[in-house]
Amino acid sequence: MVLSYFRRGYSTFTAKVIDVPPRLLSFLFFLLLLVFPLTKPSSDLLQTLAQYSTLAIFAASWDFLVGRSGQLSLGHALFFGVAAYSTGGLISHFGLPLWETIPLSVLICVLVAFLVGFPCLRVKGPYLALVTLAFPIILLTIFLGLPSDWFGAENGITGLPVFFPIEKGLGWQAQERALYQQSIAQYYLILLFLFVSSYILYKLAYSKTGIILVSILDDEVASKASGINTTKYKLMAFGISGFFAALSGCLYVHSGHTGSVGLSSLALTQSFVPIILTIFGGLGTIYGPIAGAYILMFLGEFVLHDLMLGLAGLMTDIGLVGLGQHLEWNISTWVGSGTSPGLIFIIIVIILVIKWPTGIAKSLVDKLDDLQEARELEERGKKK
Amino acid sequence: MIEDLIIYGLISGAVYSLLALGFTLIYGVADIVNMAHGAFYMLGAYMFYIFAVEYFSLEPFLAVILAVILIGFIGMIVYRVFIDPVLDDIVAIMVVTLGVALVFQQIIILHFTGSDIAINLLSGSVDILGLPVDYHRILAFVVSLVLFAVLWVFIRKSKIGGAMRAVAQDREAAMLMGINTERLYMLTMAISASFAALAGILIAAYTAANPQMWTSPLGMSFAIVVLGGLGSIKGSLVGAFIIGYAEKAVTIWTGMAYLEGATSFVVLVVVLLLKPAGLFGKRREMEE
Repeated sequence: MVLSYFRRGYSTFTAKVIDVPPRLLSFLFFLLLLVFPLTKPSSDLLQTLAQYSTLAIFAASWDFLVGRSGQLSLGHALFFGVAAYSTGGLISHFGLPLWETIPLSVLICVLVAFLVGFPCLRVKGPYLALVTLAFPIILLTIFLGLPSDWFGAENGITGLPVFFPIEKGLGWQAQERALYQQSIAQYYLILLFLFVSSYILYKLAYSKTGIILVSILDDEVASKASGINTTKYKLMAFGISGFFAALSGCLYVHSGHTGSVGLSSLALTQSFVPIILTIFGGLGTIYGPIAGAYILMFLGEFVLHDLMLGLAGLMTDIGLVGLGQHLEWNISTWVGSGTSPGLIFIIIVIILVIKWPTGIAKSLVDKLDDLQEARELEERGKKK
Repeated sequence: MIEDLIIYGLISGAVYSLLALGFTLIYGVADIVNMAHGAFYMLGAYMFYIFAVEYFSLEPFLAVILAVILIGFIGMIVYRVFIDPVLDDIVAIMVVTLGVALVFQQIIILHFTGSDIAINLLSGSVDILGLPVDYHRILAFVVSLVLFAVLWVFIRKSKIGGAMRAVAQDREAAMLMGINTERLYMLTMAISASFAALAGILIAAYTAANPQMWTSPLGMSFAIVVLGGLGSIKGSLVGAFIIGYAEKAVTIWTGMAYLEGATSFVVLVVVLLLKPAGLFGKRREMEE
């Protein structure tokens, strides 16, 4: 009895996942992320991975708004920052527990998204981009100027609780172990959030709603003529996108060993993060930005960092000591980190936009789809 | 109080008009929303610093001219390398130019770190309406208005100006008449960038320069040209003075200097929501 269920489940699984190359790819990818902690990586690496996973949610939400509904937002940091600041503010001013602030601040952020989205519907194209760009900058200026006991002015809010807090007063070794366990727990928690939100976003993006959004992107007048309430759908895209961006903002604040919110969460570079990730992966695909996040992480953490250090060493060896030292000291500006993309990535994105606008993950999946089609044709031929 | 407003608002308005003029010019002629406009402004101030203070110790006047010309060339290169390949896609242009702006910012941070630098052109001040106004501001005011007038005449009377207006009206028809649009766009970009650079030097002379200084003028240019109508030269002049006065009024009456940067963004949002076409609408000026 149980076995037959298992068998049926297995056959559905093979038919729906294993036999479709792109799905197989994403399945394997999540499997890889799931078993990754078994290799006993360092605590720092786990933290970095978790950080990039939150950014992947952020980028996917941007992709949903821009890639599917075609409303270019250059200020997506607004949602990220509002959520981060509202969870920080709710905790530091009202002393709410962590698990209550997250739904509350996501709610606040969705309200903000509607508030922003509603006037934004009147403008489109470059004008929309400008308005969205303006909001986080206005907010940043206001936060900077408010008395520092409200939102901490330029220092932000520090000392916020994190997920899975560790006990105080442990011995050194016990504390190390507790910190490591905390990293692993946070890693899995964020992975779960990433999995669920990317699944929902993907389903939404390829559902009827998503297709309607794409139709608005392609031709708004024609969609209107077909009886679609374009205003409603565009506003909905804003709300959904704001929801997931807010989620990633909250996760970002409360992960790591100490929780804090800074003005950088509203800065222009923060708005540029999802653009970079999405362009790496492919616009309008939802899986693209997620893949982009990990590609970027891999490049930044493993390849480029060592490469730049090697280059710096080489420069020093061949006599350009000044240049070598310069590279070594400024390596963070060149390579960057999760929330502040380095110079190299910005340059790569510029080149990608110009030369290869489809993105890496999208091209790969298109290739796989072609293969799939060829195989199906072959099978059909055999049957005949 | 009211003297402060009149004089400082007038000076800000004049310099902002110079800043916004380049932005509106490149949008009106080539439909390029140049997010790197603020970066040219920032680079201008730093190039002047390099020429006049850090490396070459040139005469300030010579350093200004060199810096402005150099930024003009950089503008041309940015157009040729980054904007030209994606000219038809307005979204790609915005993303690419924003990326270019961030690259410039990071490069300046690499070399100068993030701290403020001071620029000195002239020293001393003169009393106007019982208010000491330093020579930097007067210089900025005069230079801005003169250059604005020069460009106005250039666009009205010269052959290249005529070509610019023609391309703004109808690109294809202008191409059929034998106008080399690519070269024209490059020239427009060079003019636009060098005007931004000059505004950067003039403003940094009485404030200070730092690598993050480009976001607020970018927002200001947007606000001004949106207020005046994207692509309208007359609009950018009027818009600049409105924004200049609005900023000063806000800072003087609230006494909070940090609100200055946000004012233009608020104006931008309000105008876009209430009257998206701006005061003078797109291209009316160029179409006459």
